[in-house]
Amino acid sequence: MSVQAVYSTNKSVKDAVKELANKIDIQNPKLILFFASSNYQPTELSSEFKNTFKSSEVIGCTTAGEIVSGKMLSNSVVAMVFDKATIGDLKVEVIENLRQNPDVDPAFKNFEIHFGESMGEMDYQKYLGLVLIDGLSGSEEKLMEMIGTRSNLNFVGGSAGDDLKFKQTFVFANGKSYTNAAVLVLLKPLADFDIIKTQSFAVMKDKFTATKVDVEKREVIEFNNMPAIEAYSKAVAKTTENASTEFMTYPFGVMVGDEPFVRSPQQVSGKGIKFYCNIVEGTELTLLRSGDIVEETKNVLAKKIAEVKKISGLINFNCILRTLELQNKNQTEAYGKLFEDIPTIGFSTYGEEYIGHINQTAVMVVFK
Amino acid sequence: MAGKIKRHLNEIISSVSNNNVILQNTTRTKLILKGLDPNNFNDNSEDDPVVLAKVLAFAKDFNVKLSD
Repeated sequence: MSVQAVYSTNKSVKDAVKELANKIDIQNPKLILFFASSNYQPTELSSEFKNTFKSSEVIGCTTAGEIVSGKMLSNSVVAMVFDKATIGDLKVEVIENLRQNPDVDPAFKNFEIHFGESMGEMDYQKYLGLVLIDGLSGSEEKLMEMIGTRSNLNFVGGSAGDDLKFKQTFVFANGKSYTNAAVLVLLKPLADFDIIKTQSFAVMKDKFTATKVDVEKREVIEFNNMPAIEAYSKAVAKTTENASTEFMTYPFGVMVGDEPFVRSPQQVSGKGIKFYCNIVEGTELTLLRSGDIVEETKNVLAKKIAEVKKISGLINFNCILRTLELQNKNQTEAYGKLFEDIPTIGFSTYGEEYIGHINQTAVMVVFK
Repeated sequence: MAGKIKRHLNEIISSVSNNNVILQNTTRTKLILKGLDPNNFNDNSEDDPVVLAKVLAFAKDFNVKLSD
């Protein structure tokens, strides 16, 4: 079994893909997964990848920064190459018109036809879904809910970025580029696989019930029956005017046992707070306090390596807010180094997908 | 009347997970992220019609036929 991680910082699409191809040792890869800076021309990039790797399935998306074994990068393209002994079979599907009408049913029907098994019968330990989604579509929650109510399989992934320009993000599948779309891939790996979800937060005592929300706008208008920003300001001991400076340090979590599913505030909106993902009315949130991302990720990886002995490949969907925090703390080099000995690719996302849509989290797929 | 919410949520979890413990936890998480934490209800929880309507909608989403 073989998985290879490669990267290029060459600014020319043609030269970058050529450089990647020259670095790849695997003959006739089954799957090529790539993450690229939005500074590459997207249509040209997707087309160049498929033209170069004609016999492989090729998928990817744009990013807000890239990750490869040992490094956090920007303005680059990273790719993971899987041989046939690692990924036995796969099917790629594209869901378009996400904002208007996200519908997973046609994709799921095609998965069933391809694998000859109904989605309901597929074993979550034998199949793994990847999802790459337009990070500016605002439709991640709807899509993940649809996936989650129709299947017990894990679909893991990230929201595409555009280097913090917040204008347009792209997902790629087999030579085409799409916006307002998601790429779903159902893998039937021959290698064992696992999922890591990790976030670096201490759980505080403060509880907030979202008593008035605008779900479509991802906005909480009231917490505990008071203007959301007032309730938040009190908890973080700031005035309502400067409370937003604490958003990255003190986000919220929907607690599932001891595990937070992070909801990150984005901006103040009147007296409400706009989030990076939606919050359903009545949901109880717990205030979180950020910790040491590098230390916590190091511990999680060490635990996983002790469990599986060797990781043959790792895909890291790492929230852009974590990347910004790492940059602020001058820790990007230390974070990249955590993955030095593991064939790794990843990207800084506009949101992470695992069971639902989450923020300030790293979701990783690990191939043993 | 009381206890219907808990009973229905348990039915959804049991049906979706086919009593697999890992899938039970995943289904519970999906319900929590959709806005209803099964742990907040017990056999004595009042049959609040607003919450019950949510539970019925969830059952429909998950394609689960509830017993009553």
